[in-house]
Amino acid sequence: MELIRLEKAEIGYKKPLLPPFDLSVRSGERLAVLGPNGGGKGTLLKSLIGLLPLLSGKRVFPNGRPPRAGYVPQAPRIDPIYPLTALQVVLQGRYGRIGLGRFPKASDWRAAMAQLEKVGMTEMASALFRSLSGGQRQRILLARAFCGEPELLVLDEFTSDMDPVASAGLLAEVAQLADRERVSVIFVTHEIQAAALYSTAVVMVDARRSQFAAGRTEELLTAEALSRLYGQNISLERRGERTVVFVESGRPR
Amino acid sequence: MSPTISLADFWALFGNAIIAAMLGAALCGYLGFFVVLRRLAFVSAALGQIAGLGVAFGFLLGSYFGVDPHAPTPVYLDPVVLALVLSGLVSAGLGYVSRVERTSPESLVALAYLSSTAITILLLASPRIVQEAHEVGDLLFGNAVAVRREHFIELVVVAAAVLCSHVFLFKDLLFVSFDRDMAQTVGLPSVKIELFLHVSIGISVAVSTRAIGALPVFGFLVLPAGAALLASDSVRGVLALSISGAMLAAAGGFYLSFVESRPTGPLMVACAAAYWPLAALYRLARRPR
Repeated sequence: MELIRLEKAEIGYKKPLLPPFDLSVRSGERLAVLGPNGGGKGTLLKSLIGLLPLLSGKRVFPNGRPPRAGYVPQAPRIDPIYPLTALQVVLQGRYGRIGLGRFPKASDWRAAMAQLEKVGMTEMASALFRSLSGGQRQRILLARAFCGEPELLVLDEFTSDMDPVASAGLLAEVAQLADRERVSVIFVTHEIQAAALYSTAVVMVDARRSQFAAGRTEELLTAEALSRLYGQNISLERRGERTVVFVESGRPR
Repeated sequence: MSPTISLADFWALFGNAIIAAMLGAALCGYLGFFVVLRRLAFVSAALGQIAGLGVAFGFLLGSYFGVDPHAPTPVYLDPVVLALVLSGLVSAGLGYVSRVERTSPESLVALAYLSSTAITILLLASPRIVQEAHEVGDLLFGNAVAVRREHFIELVVVAAAVLCSHVFLFKDLLFVSFDRDMAQTVGLPSVKIELFLHVSIGISVAVSTRAIGALPVFGFLVLPAGAALLASDSVRGVLALSISGAMLAAAGGFYLSFVESRPTGPLMVACAAAYWPLAALYRLARRPR
């Protein structure tokens, strides 16, 4: 079942970044958004979830309402000056359900604690968010996103500030959590291997070359498509469930 | 001690002004929490100047309509109403343009500050309102010793409205300030909430400026909250320190003004600035060794 569908959508701030395109996010799907820096991945993400209005075309909700969504931004986007505890940040995920001008109930605080437990951060509940490491902050933001019981989880390069081991571990946890909670995921990433391993569908976008392609991961994520997307020779090697990516050094194509 | 007046006489003369200053300080001390966290410190300075421009413009308009500035004025010519409208509009506008790409928020704040100051000075040079120039001067540089009853009532009404509405919307205002995108993603009207916050700040700055002057208002919006953030690690702690610190600085400024026979506004700001080294020392003392 579709959660969101874009029809003949044109996205951008003033001028369209891409020719009109169609795109849908289905229930249970894990959609990876790939593309070079400045290629419009963030704009596509924001347009898809309604943070940015479409320049033309339609955003359709086949359920008759927008899906409940949780959003995890890149770590540096959050200003560490705020004196909020980890638990207070996680509770924010329920503010949409609590409603404007209403106060959180005991059940909301319990739900926030339960989410902290799921990401293994219970002992950090009363720690200041700003005092946590980059990886811990992203876990807290992930718990916040899950706290609103989302149907759709939106991850905007959320492991970009982490080392490769921590990033791979967190992505694997997200995939497990999303499967357990039956949540669809859209994730913007620069990690082709992560896209190959965790996505069921892929969107490739590069506004500078007016490229847009969407499809099943096993069909679209090919060496040829990736080489075209990044303008560099890229080869893929399947090793069991995993895909190893080789990027040829040298001048861009 | 001032040789010409007793403390009791001082209270009888300036009691209302002291209460107004403490109320304005409490309002600014509270809003300073958002001003500092959202890094809008100089927006509040610009808004004080814009409030001054609104008052000067009101006097000038009144002179064209033959209004006596010291008699009751029609609402549409009331300098305070014009200050409120201008401050509210500019505050909301600054909130909007800060989201526009290729625009540096600081340069827009500087534009608002400089242009409103320059236009105010030009308006005050008009021979039509030369008699009111001292009043606008007091407003801009702070002379909280004489507060008219109507200005006091305006301040009470605005403070009550802002503080009561913020009690209910506080969690949402803080959420939108912390992470606007997530707030919008979970379904909160983040643009409207931000607009409400900016208009709250604009209107509060306008009425507080009219009552206690632009310099103390700017000081109370930035200094107590900044020091409180240094001293406390909790939202409640920062709010409590910021509000009580601003009120204490207002009272301290009046007291020192009485004792030392110096201008009140700058002394209030000096008292509020003194919190910074105290907060830094407290922070140092608490640092684990």
